[in-house]
Order: sequence, then structure tokens, then C-alpha cells
Amino acid sequence: MTARAAPAPLPPATTVGLQGWLRQNLFSSRGNSVVTVVLAVVLAWFVFNLGSWVFVEADWTVIISRAPLYIVGLYPYEGYWRLCICLLLISVLLGMSWRAWPNAARRFAFGFGAVILFVGVFPHEMAPEHRALLLLNLPAIGLGYVLTPRPADASPGRLEAIAGGTLAPALERGAIFSTPRRMISAALVALVLTMILILGIAGVPGLDPVNPQDLGGLMINLLLAFFGIVCSLPIGVGLALGRRSSLPILKVACVIFIEVIRGVPLITLLFMSRHILPLTFPEDLNIDRVYLAGITITIFSSAYMAENVRGGMAAVHPGQAEAARALGLRDWQNTLLITLPQGLRNIIPAIVGQFISLFKDTSLVYFIGMLDLVEMGRVSVQGNQEFIDNGREVYLFIALVFWVFCFSMSFISRRIEGVLGVGRR
Amino acid sequence: MTRLLYVQGVPIWRNVVALRWIVQIVSAVVVLSTIALFLLNVAREIEARDIPFGFTFLNRAAQIPIGEAVIPYHPSDSYLYGLLVAGLNTIRASVLGVILATAIGILIGVARLSPNWLLSRIALVYIEVFRNIPLIVQLLFWLTIVLTLPKVAEGYVIADSVYINNSGFFMPWFLAQDGFWPWALITAIGVALAVYAFRRLNRRETETGQQSYPLLAAAVIAIGLSLVALLILGPLAIDIPQVEGRFGRLQGGAQLSGSFMALLVGLVVYTSAFIAEIVRAGIQSVGKGQTEAARSVGLSGMLTLRHVTFPQALRVIIPPLISQFLNLTKNSSLAAAIGYPDLVSVANTMTQIAPAISLFMIVMFSYLSMSLLYSLIGNLYNRMIRFKGA
Repeated sequence: MTARAAPAPLPPATTVGLQGWLRQNLFSSRGNSVVTVVLAVVLAWFVFNLGSWVFVEADWTVIISRAPLYIVGLYPYEGYWRLCICLLLISVLLGMSWRAWPNAARRFAFGFGAVILFVGVFPHEMAPEHRALLLLNLPAIGLGYVLTPRPADASPGRLEAIAGGTLAPALERGAIFSTPRRMISAALVALVLTMILILGIAGVPGLDPVNPQDLGGLMINLLLAFFGIVCSLPIGVGLALGRRSSLPILKVACVIFIEVIRGVPLITLLFMSRHILPLTFPEDLNIDRVYLAGITITIFSSAYMAENVRGGMAAVHPGQAEAARALGLRDWQNTLLITLPQGLRNIIPAIVGQFISLFKDTSLVYFIGMLDLVEMGRVSVQGNQEFIDNGREVYLFIALVFWVFCFSMSFISRRIEGVLGVGRR
Repeated sequence: MTRLLYVQGVPIWRNVVALRWIVQIVSAVVVLSTIALFLLNVAREIEARDIPFGFTFLNRAAQIPIGEAVIPYHPSDSYLYGLLVAGLNTIRASVLGVILATAIGILIGVARLSPNWLLSRIALVYIEVFRNIPLIVQLLFWLTIVLTLPKVAEGYVIADSVYINNSGFFMPWFLAQDGFWPWALITAIGVALAVYAFRRLNRRETETGQQSYPLLAAAVIAIGLSLVALLILGPLAIDIPQVEGRFGRLQGGAQLSGSFMALLVGLVVYTSAFIAEIVRAGIQSVGKGQTEAARSVGLSGMLTLRHVTFPQALRVIIPPLISQFLNLTKNSSLAAAIGYPDLVSVANTMTQIAPAISLFMIVMFSYLSMSLLYSLIGNLYNRMIRFKGA
């Protein structure tokens, strides 16, 4: 005990630190070294060319001058402030999510704030009041954050450290959105307000109704995706339950519906809905194509959702259902309270994947004549002699916008999986 | 019936058999009446609004041009034939797309698992970039790239035979001569012999442990026979594209139009990103113990991959892979946006004079048959790889 153990010898310099990492991951063998060098050269060449194109050769004026069309389409200019307020509501919700699920939403909130800041201070043509409303989003995120209590199991957040420890308990007591139920109510209220603000109400000064045809740009992609997501999950669950049911006629009807919808491309469905859906409504009821697109996308997505849900429910261990029966639960209780919730948790990645592809699919609504972000981009290139050579810039910009949304969705889904402990319970 | 539904002392609302019948009948009535209502409504409106409907138009002359066709087409041909030409265009894009996307997807998926950090990161970036951008945006982008290529006269020429320019991609191709069918027959026989020899030698190798080179033998038989026949019969001539006239139209060889190139590149890049993820997940799903066991019984890294890891990974890979093939086929309908005359695009043009609803019913039916074909293949495969015995 008195003799001190000799200090453990340090690992050789070639296995630790930067050198060790390089040796292990890039130059572990002769072949690997060759691959690394070749790839590095190709990558450097690519990055250099891309960089010099993006910063020197490319002409981004088309994006800046057409930005309103890309974002909100033909929405009347007088109504822009209404959209700014919708954005503020979303910011508050984002702040709340940041506080409630810091792991999932923090980076998203930071990224959103950064985009707002960039657009808000970028020197381009923009009415000062719109600029002010846009920059107001930053405090709005903070507002949502402080109105929500810290979840019981989370450590103090960075914002609290900045605000000072003494302030935090007071904020906690004053928190409005203290339960999940209240947060959901807040989201629903925000949703209704958003719809009212966007579409307007006849007769209310300042809220002149907007023709749904004029909704366009990124806004219509987001709106269609949102409603598709919200509506297709319950319909998909219904179809999946129908397909699992033991009633033959219901089952066959669901199977045929799901397989037909999944077997054809979305644009043929959009085409059919343009020609057939209006026939099923009374002739004097003129349904706008925005709603036709929404209905079609929802139907399309719910068929895929149904298959995901069915897969998830099939993966629930039969012992669960047996245990539920042994406890005296009825069949419907068993399905709704035991199998379905566990099945849904099994398929969170699949559901988010479906949401992502739904969002990407909203880019096809051009086929029934709507001016979404992609179509706006196409029109601004092909319909305009001035920008006819700027196709690359426009499509890269649009690609970037879609990419940011889709990538953040898949990022958040991975975090939610972590929070819900999929695969660990 | 009454005995079935009526049980002594059990009220009808507690009788499971009766309840099931009632729910059954109610659901049947609801489903059928919804469908009937929908169809009747549509039929009445078609009648009332005088919307053209029916299939008699299919035999009339289509009178529309189709930019490129696999089989000869003339605007005076019938609608039905025009749809067939368009359908073949869809199949051409899908088949080429499936082959290329699978090859590139497997490469990227394996690269994703490479121990080389740089390679694996590049594969990751490829996957995350291309699967998160809508296909239509990618197609429009590739079309822009194709259209900014130089004109025919100033385009890229490789070895005086491959031309790349803004009207497409042109390369030498084969022209069938007199001896083509005999040669094809001999080649088919060669392939059959090769398969037989491969199985035979493979079995010998597994049973006796004697090195028998089954793959080499099979390749020698098939390729050798085919080559010998090729030299004797001379069934194929090579057609090299050539610039004709002052305005430099290219004639001959295999021609892939600009919009076809854009479609193919877009479909392949987009789908290969998904396939790469499937391949990665499949390979990772094989337990580590399998590899370790294979190595400990003395198999080399390559043999482990071929005989242990990959066959097991295939079980996981194939079903989602087939659904990606189906997706690619359906996605090829976006050709309508970039001017490649596929099924949807041609049908859309035809709607200017022919009944739109009938046309798109045919189009949807065609896609449905294709997807049924894919699920048939998938089911056959699933049956084939099911664990036997045990």
C-alpha cells in the first residue's frame, strides 16, 4: 500500500490526439491514404469552383427582386402586415417549444432567429414597418420561452443563466403555458388566428378577404403541408384500423383505397381531382383549386400513412394485447389504448419521413395551376427575358429553402425519438 | 339465423355474434352507398355538363407530335398507339433509372460505411442533400444545366463519336444486321450453359473444398461463345453519330435528348440517395457477431462480405428497394414538367382534344399495373428468401 503504483505509461503519440485521429480515420492503410488524397483534391476543386461561382459569377439580383413572390405569391401588398403577425404567433410557439423540449427545438429556434435577423437587417427594399414587424420576431421567441415553465427534468437553460438566477423563479410562477394541455390550446388559438389573418373576414376593416387563388409562394407550400400533415394522420389511422378490422367489406374497401392511391403518381391524382372532384360538389359551389389541392394531397398522404401505422401496430408484441385482454379490456379499448399508442411510437421516424415527403410533394401543385414556390421560380426564369439566364441561381435558392425545412424536420425527429426513448424502453 | 342471433337470456346488444353482423351490415351499407353516391353524382354531372367521356376516341388519329419514341411514331397514328409510345418512353426512363440508381445507391451506401472518414462524410452529404430537395426542383435545375451546354457546332466531342451538347447526348450504337437473331440465340444458349456450369462447379467447390473457379468458368463459356458467334456471323454494325448539314443536326447512333438526360440524372441522383440509406441500414442490420464468426473461421474480408454479410443484408434490403423502384417509376411522371414525352406528359397534351377523364383513367390504370408488377416481384422474392426449415 505504501508503494505508489507507477503512473500508467502514456499512449504512444500516434494513437491519440489529432495525429492519432488522422492515422485512424484517414490514413489507416496505403489504399485508404490514396482514397483520402484523391477525395481531398476533388473536394477542394469542387468547393473552390462552387465558391467562386456563388460569390463571384452568380447574379443573385433575381432572388432579391422577386423575394416577395417567392415567399407569399400574389398576396396583396396591403395585407403583408397580417402575414407578419402570423409569423409572430409562430415565433411565440417556437419559443414555447424551445423551453418545453430544449433538446429538440433549441437549434431550430436559433436557426430561425438567425434567418429572421439576416432578412431583417439585409439592405434590400422593404417597408420599414414590415422590417420592424419582422425583427419583432426575436423578442417574440423570447416571450414564448419565458411564458413556459421549465420541464421538471431539465437543467437550467442558457437563457436563464443570462437572465440571472434570481429572476427565474419569478418567471416560473408567472408562466402561463404550464401544462401540455395549455400549450396545445395556445397552438390551436394561434392556428385559428393565423387562418383568419391570412384569409381575412368580409366586413371587418383591415381584414379584407383575400382570394385563395392569390395565396402562393413558399406560404402555400407550408400551408398545404401543414394541413396535409394534420389531416392525414387521423385519416391514415382510420384506414389502418379499417384494414386490420375483421369486417370483410370494410377491410376490402380500405385495402383497395390504399393500394390504388399508392399505386399511381400524385400528379395523376391532382389531374383527376381537378376534373372529377368539382363534379361531386353542387354546381353553384365553386371550390377553389387551393382546397382541391389540399384535399388531394391529404388523401394521397393518408394512404401512405395508413401503411406506416399498420406496420407499427403489427410490430407491437402480441403479449401486450393478451395482457390487455387478461385485464378485462374490450377489443376497442385494447386497440385504442394499448396497441395504437405503442404502434404510433414505433413509427415516429416513418411518420416524420412521410411529413417530409408530403412537404416535398406540395411542389407538384403547379399541375393544377397553383403558383407555389417552385412554379413562381420557374415563371420568374422562363417568363422573363431579363432573368432567362438565372435559372441556376433561382433553382439553387429554391432547393436550399426546401432543404432547410426537410433537414430540420428529420433533425427534430431524431431528437424526439431520443426524448420518447424509442428503442430504449 | 334466428337461432344464431338469439341466445336465451342474452339481450341482443350484448350478443357478440349479433353485434358483429349488425356492424358488418352497417359498414357495408355506408361504404357502398358512399361509392354509389359518388359515382352517380359524377355520372349525372358528366351528362348534365356535357363533359366528353368514353373510349371510342382511342382509334382515331391522335394528330399530336411526340418528340422522341422508341418505336416509330407518326401523328396520324391512333391515340391508343400514341399512348403506347408514351408508355414505352416511361418504361425506358424507369428501366435505365432503376439500373443506374441501384448501382450508384449501392456504391454510396457502402461508402457511407467506409472506415475512411472523408469518404463516409462525402457519402453522408450526398445522401442528406439529394433526398431533402423535391425532385421537381432537381429536374428543373438539371434541365437548366443541360440547356446551358454549348450548341451542336461548339459542343463537346469525344473521339469524333460521342457528342455532348444542348440538344442531348449522342453516342455510337449498334445496328442489327442479318445474322442478329441466330447470334442472339447462340448467346442465350451460352448463358444457359454458363449458369449450368456455374452451379455444377460451385457445388463441387462446396462439397469437396477443391478450388474450381465457377465464376471464371461461367464467364469464359458465355462470353467466349458469344464472341465466336459474333466474329463468324457479324450480326451487329456500329452506327456512329455524324453532323449533317450546315446547321449541324446530328444523325445516327443512340440519341438521348436533353430533357431525357435531365430526367435520367434527376431520377438517378434522387433515388440513389434513398437506396444508399437502405443499403447502409441493411448492412448494419447484420449482427457484428456474424462478421466476427466468419473472420474467426478464416474467411477473408472479401469472402466475408460475399458469403456472410451481403446475403443476410439482402433480406433486409430487397423489400424497401423494390418500393424505391416503384417510386422511381411513379416519379418519372414528373417528366411532364421538363418536356420529356412520358405517359403523363403525352396524355396531358392529348386532353386538349380528347376526353380528359378517360385518358387519365387509362394512365392511372397503366401505373397501377406497373405497381402490381413490382409488388408481384416483391412477393415472389419474399417467398424465395423465407427461412426454410428451422
